[in-house]
Amino acid sequence: MAASVVTWAGLAAFGRACGSIRSRLLGSSSTLSQVSCLHTSTELNSKHWERKNLVVYPPQQKDELRRPAEIYHCRRQIKYSKDKMWYLAKLIRGMTIDQALTQLEFNDKKGAKIIKEVILEAQDMAVRNHNVEYKSNLYIAESFSGKGKYLKRIRYHGRGMFGIMDKVHCHYFVKLVEGVPPKVEQKTGFDQAKEYVEQLRNRTIIHSL
Amino acid sequence: MATSICRTLKYLQPTICLNIKLPQPVFVPIRTKKRYFIPPAVNVKQKSQSEQETKARAAGVVVRQQYIERAINISCTAGIFDPYIPPEGDARLSTLSKEGLKQRTEQLRQSAASQLAFRKIKDHDPEFSTKEFPALAQQIFIDAHAALTQFNKEKLHSLVTERCYPEMVRGNRYKTLRWRFIESLEPPRVVHARCPDMISKGNLYGQVTLRVHSRQTLAIYDRFGRLMLGDEDEPRDVLEYLVLERHLVNPYGRWRLHGKIVPAWAPPKDPIIKTVIIPGPTLKPEEAFEDLHYQVPKPKAVQWYK
Repeated sequence: MAASVVTWAGLAAFGRACGSIRSRLLGSSSTLSQVSCLHTSTELNSKHWERKNLVVYPPQQKDELRRPAEIYHCRRQIKYSKDKMWYLAKLIRGMTIDQALTQLEFNDKKGAKIIKEVILEAQDMAVRNHNVEYKSNLYIAESFSGKGKYLKRIRYHGRGMFGIMDKVHCHYFVKLVEGVPPKVEQKTGFDQAKEYVEQLRNRTIIHSL
Repeated sequence: MATSICRTLKYLQPTICLNIKLPQPVFVPIRTKKRYFIPPAVNVKQKSQSEQETKARAAGVVVRQQYIERAINISCTAGIFDPYIPPEGDARLSTLSKEGLKQRTEQLRQSAASQLAFRKIKDHDPEFSTKEFPALAQQIFIDAHAALTQFNKEKLHSLVTERCYPEMVRGNRYKTLRWRFIESLEPPRVVHARCPDMISKGNLYGQVTLRVHSRQTLAIYDRFGRLMLGDEDEPRDVLEYLVLERHLVNPYGRWRLHGKIVPAWAPPKDPIIKTVIIPGPTLKPEEAFEDLHYQVPKPKAVQWYK
């Protein structure tokens, strides 16, 4: 127990020393985090989902299939619950962008309006910055919600007791891809039953006569 | 993680095992540690700016003075002064139109000022010569565009002025450019020069215009490697008027690409591969777009500078 505690503290001190070295050298070159082999945290104001939009692919040959454009967009610290947002994110997964926008427009939830704004922003970005030709030729490849930073407040109970109330916030992430959405194969009950029976029949008994 | 940083630091000991048995550290719980959590109180009052300032000053919070500054660059001028007007029908079958004659007369007037400018440049830079400069300038042009393809920022800044740099680089950061200079069809020629002075009277900048007729290949690929514009295998004949500038008074000044002049009679550029929506007129509910017979407005043929 003592040994594990010491090594953990030693690592923490090493990490702090790393941080101080990094902060001193960061003035000279901002690419230190890419160059050094030490694990350093990301720079301020650069989150992973936004950075996915900065990836550049090498030029394609003439005989290769045209690579579909992928646009990543997100909104941070939305005043809504991540669990409630999940229902809307799950609703629009795999839909074309026009279909998703129609569904969200006529949905009564608070998050629907926010997600609609995010998708319209992403569509605009796609046409302007990412060389997407037709703005309707996009579909929602990935859409999910994540937990944001919560604010904490006191909720007063009787008898001088109190609870800590969380003011929930969430992030919403969406990835638009150019092209027609891939068809999800609907598996019927009969197909699943057939597969099960086949699995049973394919069993072999090893080390038998 | 059950243990916290403050507690572990209390008994941080170096463990270099040298067959000496040190006594095991004793875990002493800190008596004065806070064991409850009170969330921060929420201020319901809406404070105005002056009230907030007085409160901050009373609390001893110092707000650093904000310097609203705008940087001025003195190593290059902001534009092309007294620009060269390329004669119409340059590098084409010469058809003398009325505008062509007007431009010829203006050219004769301009050439006198160019000679004065050359003399001023030779005063400050004795190595300058109208015979050798074009080759040098063409090399600068080729190097600058090669650096743009590789996106070598430092080299590009040394070959291109600060006014030209954003125009070359804007929008290209996440695109791949492939550019090749195949050959020069006519030897480059100095056609124009001016020596404007900025702000104070002695601060001279030299601007020299060069006429370049060459064969080049350009292909622009977007972020995903798809072709946006041009063709890598199809060379095109290009007639360009390049403007190079140098800060003559500065002993470390260098001739750098400052801009390009696109004449009014230049043929229109090729359209990009994808289709683009041009915003049209806003319709009233009773109108139909086909009935309006909307003509897409064509831009005026004016000389502009890249």
